[in-house]
Amino acid sequence: MVSKKRRHRDPLIIRTPEGLYCPKARAHIDPWRPVDCALITHAHADHARAGSKHYHCARGGEGLLAKRLGDHIIEPHSYGEPFSLGDVQISFHPAGHVLGSAQIRLDDGESVWVITGDYKRDLDPTCQPFEPIPCDVLITEATFALPIYRWPSMDQVMDQLFGWWDHHIRNQRTPVLLCYSLGKAQRIMAEIKQRSDRSVQVHGAVANLNIEYEKQGVQLCPWQRASESDKGVSTDLIIAPPQVAGSSFLKRFHPTELAMASGWMQVRGVRRRSAIHQGFVVSDHADWNSLIKTVKQSEATEVFATHGETRVLTRYLNDHLGISAERLETAFGIEDGIDQ
Amino acid sequence: MNFVHLFQMLDTNQSTNAKRSALVEFIETAHPLESALAVEALTGRRERRQLKPSLLKQAAYQAFADESWLFEECYAAVGDLSETLAILLANQEAVSQTEDPVLAQWQACQRELSKKEPDTLTSDLLGLLSVMSRDEAFLFLKLSSGGFRVGVSKGLVHDAIARAIDMDRAVIEERMMGAFIPNEDWLHRLKEPVTQNELDARPLPFLLANPLSESDVLKLDPNHVAVEYKWDGIRAQLIKTHETIRLWSRGDQDITEQFPDIIEAATTLPSQLILDGEILAGSPEQLQTFNDLQTRLNRKRITQNLLKTNPAFFKAYDLLRVDGEDMRTQPLTVRKNILSKINVIQSQVIYPAAHQDIQDMRLKARIEGAEGIMIKDRQSTYVGGRKTGHWWKWKLDPMTADCVLIYAQAGHGRRASLHSDYTLACWNQNNELVPVAKAYSGLTDAELKAMDQWIRKHTLQKFGPVRQVEAVQVFEIGFEGIARSTRHKSGIALRFPRILRWRQDVGPQDADHLSHFETLMSDSNAV
Repeated sequence: MVSKKRRHRDPLIIRTPEGLYCPKARAHIDPWRPVDCALITHAHADHARAGSKHYHCARGGEGLLAKRLGDHIIEPHSYGEPFSLGDVQISFHPAGHVLGSAQIRLDDGESVWVITGDYKRDLDPTCQPFEPIPCDVLITEATFALPIYRWPSMDQVMDQLFGWWDHHIRNQRTPVLLCYSLGKAQRIMAEIKQRSDRSVQVHGAVANLNIEYEKQGVQLCPWQRASESDKGVSTDLIIAPPQVAGSSFLKRFHPTELAMASGWMQVRGVRRRSAIHQGFVVSDHADWNSLIKTVKQSEATEVFATHGETRVLTRYLNDHLGISAERLETAFGIEDGIDQ
Repeated sequence: MNFVHLFQMLDTNQSTNAKRSALVEFIETAHPLESALAVEALTGRRERRQLKPSLLKQAAYQAFADESWLFEECYAAVGDLSETLAILLANQEAVSQTEDPVLAQWQACQRELSKKEPDTLTSDLLGLLSVMSRDEAFLFLKLSSGGFRVGVSKGLVHDAIARAIDMDRAVIEERMMGAFIPNEDWLHRLKEPVTQNELDARPLPFLLANPLSESDVLKLDPNHVAVEYKWDGIRAQLIKTHETIRLWSRGDQDITEQFPDIIEAATTLPSQLILDGEILAGSPEQLQTFNDLQTRLNRKRITQNLLKTNPAFFKAYDLLRVDGEDMRTQPLTVRKNILSKINVIQSQVIYPAAHQDIQDMRLKARIEGAEGIMIKDRQSTYVGGRKTGHWWKWKLDPMTADCVLIYAQAGHGRRASLHSDYTLACWNQNNELVPVAKAYSGLTDAELKAMDQWIRKHTLQKFGPVRQVEAVQVFEIGFEGIARSTRHKSGIALRFPRILRWRQDVGPQDADHLSHFETLMSDSNAV
């Protein structure tokens, strides 16, 4: 059925109660408990947790990480520039997920392991595009590992978004787009900037991150803090995290029309259950085709899937591509149930 | 606008107003054949399945070949066969064409496909889907397999038609009854001049009652009022013209089709008549509960069997038109007097001599299966709306029980982040807690907040949005009635349950037993 599982004598990375761990480097990757040395793929809360003594991350992401963690020792590394921990060569490589997101490559001279973290293959004006890294063992996410998840082009989505925005302005309703405040919000603002001179108002959580993105040279559309704007219906799009649905934040803009930007919006039932009436399919994760493409390009002989539809991905790799694949339980992707 | 565009508007707009204006715009601008076929689909008239779901599944299996397990995984995640196929097999890059008519062409495709042998059907279907956008494919499959549903009621469609062609809503309802021929001529047929009969078939504005408490009752002069039971059913007007019999509920719904038994019984009534009254479940001798009545409203098709298990009848208590003459300006006593001479089931009325007579009647209400009493001014005319000084309602005190909170869920709207929807349970004979009610309101904001924090800290398990909590908190709930129910584990269903009090003074062991509900049920007549 599949190529014989080739166990590396000493796996470079193992699972410990604190998270993924490289014993030879004495470093954890995205640990979910405080440790001595943490390698961080990106600043989302399910991957970057406070309390560790020393953090390594990709350059460009240190500002976001500092915002997330508070006062900690953070050491940034340029993409592709290796550094050593113990006998292990470590380097960060673009993951295309959010600003400063990285895959982590670990090489002990015997084998090369790559941990993708969260990633996508679609172009995103707010971060460097994903680079395929050849390796022996690939540890990949699997959030959207089902063929139903195929992302539409950003042109298609933005046309749809602008149409929806204009429609509700004409009907004197404030358009409100709910999306994750780190990454998705800025990606949409950058896409707006590339296509129009439209402006938006943002929730405080988004505003604080916008400042960091702009500091790193990312071009966003004109924006203003929603709390500083006039009351009443707005012709600007309001961008806010999903938690504001039903809260008093939206009151100042009444009447409002809610939409959500997320990969989960691909399924009508999910959108309807969330009581959101318009959904835009925009994800910062890899869709089915991207996951398969990435596994193939890595040339890995062994694959671990960490979170999401791991069962489907590993079965597909084993049964249909002849790549030895296993599931790896982690605490990623379970922070608040939304697509990050 | 075409049907695809209409669907997108209906599917992504939340307010009824927005849906209505989308429908109006569609009817005004679409090709008349497109709108005719759309109305047929939206009002649930097109039930013929051209493509069976089993055939669609078979096509998917062929398309996925040795990866059919992957198709099953997708189907499980999406939960809808047509949508799964649309996502997987439609052209991802195609943008929906939203102007030119599609429905007539789709119908032709469906007919073609349904004649094909299974093998060629699969390849033809796949070929067809591969040139469609996702929304087009989804709608095509939904319409073909007979599972089309989008959140609009028949009433809303009729209302939109009425607005689009500027006609009276009741006339449209009347003209949309029975067979509907979906051809290009449909709007012209609906626009024909209104006949007197159609005008006569429209319901009149309902007179509504104001609530009353015991002290208010004492201020009324018993010699000036009439008293009758307040029935727990569906308020409705039964209208008979020279040509038709209609039943309209207070919610501006034409519910004639739901109650063929009442319509049948009304054939012996004189025509040119409007009665105001209540639709009740069961028979005058043996009332059934409101739940039994709801079954009738929720069914698309009223079967003979349903008419037997859930019979309904109309109990009249007012007369708004007789022999074509408007009676609404006549005093109540006159209307009641004429009503009493008509051979129809009607509500018993008493003319009290003293306050005690009113009290006595209210005490008997529960045994009679009523939910309280109505007090009406003897001289009152019949006017639309909740006018003061005409009718009052004095309801029974609710039945109560102490129940234990076992599940909680976040609410909606302003309570979106608070766990405010509670599932409450009582003890059964095996000493297990069984759910008896879901209650949403009745706590103060401060109490809700405190409970929310407690719930978050004492969650045992999460099932999606639902949290199972430790069985500790006790609430007193009030409710208006009890009925047997096969749907609930406890075997009973409560009518209008709500939280009266947070019983912080008692523990879960003090909560009520199922037998308490049994006793309450046997005390009231309606079982």
